[in-house]
Amino acid sequence: MSVVAAQNETDFPIPAGVFAQTVTSVHHYTDRLFKFRITRPASLRFRSGEFMMIGLPNAEKPVYRAYSVASPSWDDELEFYSIKVPDGPLTEHLQKIKVGDTVLLRKKPTGTLVNDALLPGKRLWMFSTGTGIAPFASLIRDPETYEKFEEVILTFTCREVGELTYGQELVAAIKEDPLVGELAQGLKLYCTTTREDYPFMGRITDLMASGKVFDDLGVAPISPGTDRGMICGSMEMLRDTKTALEGFGLTEGSNSRPDTFVVERAFVD
Amino acid sequence: MTYVVIDACIKCKYQDCIEVCPVDCFYEGENMVVINTEECIDCGVCEPECPVEAIKPDTIPDAEKWVALNQKYAKIWPNIAEKGDPPADADDWADTPDKLAQLSENPAQQKNPAQQ
Repeated sequence: MSVVAAQNETDFPIPAGVFAQTVTSVHHYTDRLFKFRITRPASLRFRSGEFMMIGLPNAEKPVYRAYSVASPSWDDELEFYSIKVPDGPLTEHLQKIKVGDTVLLRKKPTGTLVNDALLPGKRLWMFSTGTGIAPFASLIRDPETYEKFEEVILTFTCREVGELTYGQELVAAIKEDPLVGELAQGLKLYCTTTREDYPFMGRITDLMASGKVFDDLGVAPISPGTDRGMICGSMEMLRDTKTALEGFGLTEGSNSRPDTFVVERAFVD
Repeated sequence: MTYVVIDACIKCKYQDCIEVCPVDCFYEGENMVVINTEECIDCGVCEPECPVEAIKPDTIPDAEKWVALNQKYAKIWPNIAEKGDPPADADDWADTPDKLAQLSENPAQQKNPAQQ
């Protein structure tokens, strides 16, 4: 087996202009979801919430896909949270990676879900579905998020209960973390499911329209004077959540023009 | 799917898009930039960066003509990976509609040929 692996590595040289990093851990949550961590290139600088292009050294011209970095900018490793797409050009191979394998990273991190793209505010809402939680996994581990916002609320909606595990374990670990634990004591995680029975159910847009999410959390409805939003999820969820935030009077911003909410369009599910 | 640059960019060329593109798929003419639609990964990061809303998904009604324009000039203009200065009179053109007649087919002046 090791001979075959070694041949695969040498069949396709590392392309110019990319980082070749080593897998340090892999954790499978369900048959559709897994997390992996890789070594961090010494020269890489990125802002919490940004994404990078990931590939595998398994072809002359590797297939790259956009992945949000799920670890914060201070971490000495990089974490990613991925779906497994049957016959997906990258994920059908990526889901088989093991500790010690090589993962390719293009060198330019970028993205709109960054604190820099939001105007100052009191309360930060992060809206996610599925693997769209990844950029927020980075941001809620970054002390800067708590320096900029008094309150941080992460909403996380999945079809089934087992798909919530990554977010639930992450937030529990953050509260115990020596670096950000104290800052993050007020961090709220609001999990809902849309298919399997769970104490909180429904799409976040419906729960905002009915006001249930605000009642459940004991917070005032969203207002442009105090609230800021970040959105990452499926195409339909992005569209509907953007419409909901605009309904509350918020306006979409970007790196060059910070405003009251931002959207990540790179998400693919 | 891909994103394309439309005529709103012409003579404005603010280049906020260049900074954020993860695959550096913009190509620069004298007074406009275009996207190489075969290199664009459809991440959409550039779209909200443009101050004149010149970047659109190829799902807009008359997308075909913009895809063709972007493909044509991406082949003949140089790649741009770093933002330069917008034209001095860029703001004067920001609100002008239908600027296609103003398009220069000339490639951008090479700022640093060694980079190519």
